[in-house]
Amino acid sequence: MSSTVLALTHTADPGFEPPGIADFNFPPIFPDTPFDFVTKPLLASVLAAIIVFVFFTLGARKGALVPGRFQFAVESVYTFIRNGIARDVIGHDFAKYVPYLVTVFAFISVNNLFGIIPLIQFPTLARFGFPLVLAICSWLIYLGIGIRRAGFFGYFKSIMFPPGLPVFIYPLLAPIELIQVLVVRPFSLALRLTANMFAGHILLLLFTLGGTYMLTNESLVLKLLAPFSLAGAIGLTSFEAFIEVLQAYIFTLLSALYIAEAMSDEH
Amino acid sequence: MAQEGPGPKRKDQDSEAAWGVVGYLVSGLVAWGGLGAIADHYFDTSLFFPIGLALGAGLGLYLVWVRYGKS
Repeated sequence: MSSTVLALTHTADPGFEPPGIADFNFPPIFPDTPFDFVTKPLLASVLAAIIVFVFFTLGARKGALVPGRFQFAVESVYTFIRNGIARDVIGHDFAKYVPYLVTVFAFISVNNLFGIIPLIQFPTLARFGFPLVLAICSWLIYLGIGIRRAGFFGYFKSIMFPPGLPVFIYPLLAPIELIQVLVVRPFSLALRLTANMFAGHILLLLFTLGGTYMLTNESLVLKLLAPFSLAGAIGLTSFEAFIEVLQAYIFTLLSALYIAEAMSDEH
Repeated sequence: MAQEGPGPKRKDQDSEAAWGVVGYLVSGLVAWGGLGAIADHYFDTSLFFPIGLALGAGLGLYLVWVRYGKS
């Protein structure tokens, strides 16, 4: 891949412009109006919310005992999260958190899959603000559970001073445990998601733009090599589809793990 | 997090360990490196930040060993 880029920069006269941060900044759709904050990612995220809403509403409305094909698809997603994540990770009293986990999984999946859906072709969550809000939701939930279970000071005491360690080490470890729960967790949740979507989108852009550039270049060698780059783009698209759902799964799984930890008495 | 005892059963303990390890290593650096940086800022020195980073890295490793290494 890098050799292709090098070859491009050496032979091309106007030069190949590799994709970069600029490809993640969208102009306002309605400039010079009060709605100039509306951009493509914002609309895409609203669309994702509508898709998730319609998907589950239609799937649950009929509630047939013998599900049809669509209802089966909806129930599969629900059961996958309910049994695969909520029940296995959280354990008893997991039912309360199933709606949140299913919604988060579905919303993140749809937003991520936008990265490979024609016409949209932008993974919304590659903009850091979106996953940050989702991570803050999970953060508030697990902090709320912990504080409700043990009280404000009790919860933070159980975080900072877990039992079973020599006493003299606690002052050294307490700040680490506190930072871990308060800062590192929400940020790693959001960053992992953003970084994966960002990198995947850049890769797809590179292969697609590079292939197109090579195809339209005068050099015959580049023309002959272009199909490989475009084939790489196609291969990476299916790989991205996998990564996009996997990242939604990981976000949901970790949220469930944090909730489970806040619920359990021991740290 | 306790490895045994009452509480929810954890099928995903391995994946939890994988993310938790990274979390502790980063947290150690951030917590003690941060405290060191604050101390440096306060006392107008440039000594505590590197000490804090080294201490945090060590303590992070220790926490990983305590949480996930012992079984």
